[in-house]
Amino acid sequence: MLETRYAYSMQPVAAARPDERGLVERLRAGDERAFEELVDHHAAPLLAVTRRILRDEEEARDAVQEAFVAAFRSIGDFQIESRLSTWMHRIAVNCALMKLRVRERRREKDVDELLPHFQADGHQQQSSVGWKESVEDVLQREQSRALVRECIDRLPESYRVVLVLRDIEQLPPDVVAEKLQITRDNLKVKLHRARQALRTLLDPHMRGAT
Amino acid sequence: MSHVTCIELISFLDAYVAEELDAETRTTFDLHLIVCPSCRAYLASYEETIDLVRGVAEKEEELAHDAPPELIEAVKHVKR
Repeated sequence: MLETRYAYSMQPVAAARPDERGLVERLRAGDERAFEELVDHHAAPLLAVTRRILRDEEEARDAVQEAFVAAFRSIGDFQIESRLSTWMHRIAVNCALMKLRVRERRREKDVDELLPHFQADGHQQQSSVGWKESVEDVLQREQSRALVRECIDRLPESYRVVLVLRDIEQLPPDVVAEKLQITRDNLKVKLHRARQALRTLLDPHMRGAT
Repeated sequence: MSHVTCIELISFLDAYVAEELDAETRTTFDLHLIVCPSCRAYLASYEETIDLVRGVAEKEEELAHDAPPELIEAVKHVKR
């Protein structure tokens, strides 16, 4: 498996770096230049996060703006033993999810047809076969990455968001369940179904390689 | 659990991958995987799916340019 390490993920929180402490103190003091530094350093990765969640450029940019405003307003609550990037990531995820919630609720298809099917004796109806290329090789090609992205985007939104928050942003299950207002059991089922559905969408391409 | 079928293994594959199964159940799953090439292939592609999802996002961040200047300016302007 690939080692995944996101500066903006919710992985164990490391203490603020010395240079961050100074920045936080200046932010708390209302230093205009400090806010500009915060924006310059964090806008790009936060935009990547909100783009992944919202899949809409305008909404993603709005969410980033709102995240910075929220961060500046609540900088007094920032705990110095945390990392600024982790804290900003959490705020940006919240802002993006708020936008998702106010989107008009669309009826979405379930993913049943994309789940594996079984015979009465419990065996798979269609045998699975291994994929042709390694993940590393697939990721090297822009066309293949676009295909994976397209397949993720084809998932019904509630499944796509679970996949993004758990497998990409790597937020802990309790946090995701709370943010999405679902039970932890429901989240677990949804994540497993999302992965299986995505596997099914990728399968015909990956069997023969893209 | 003396033995499992494909449907049981695949239903609990997330727990298997996350190493959340108790030792006895995990051993039973391992035994099924030894004799079932289809489930071995399914498990491999399930893990590869997770890796692809993470890998694509990582690659997108690597290749991402700076945030658009107009966004940077807009954020700074909101604060002013």
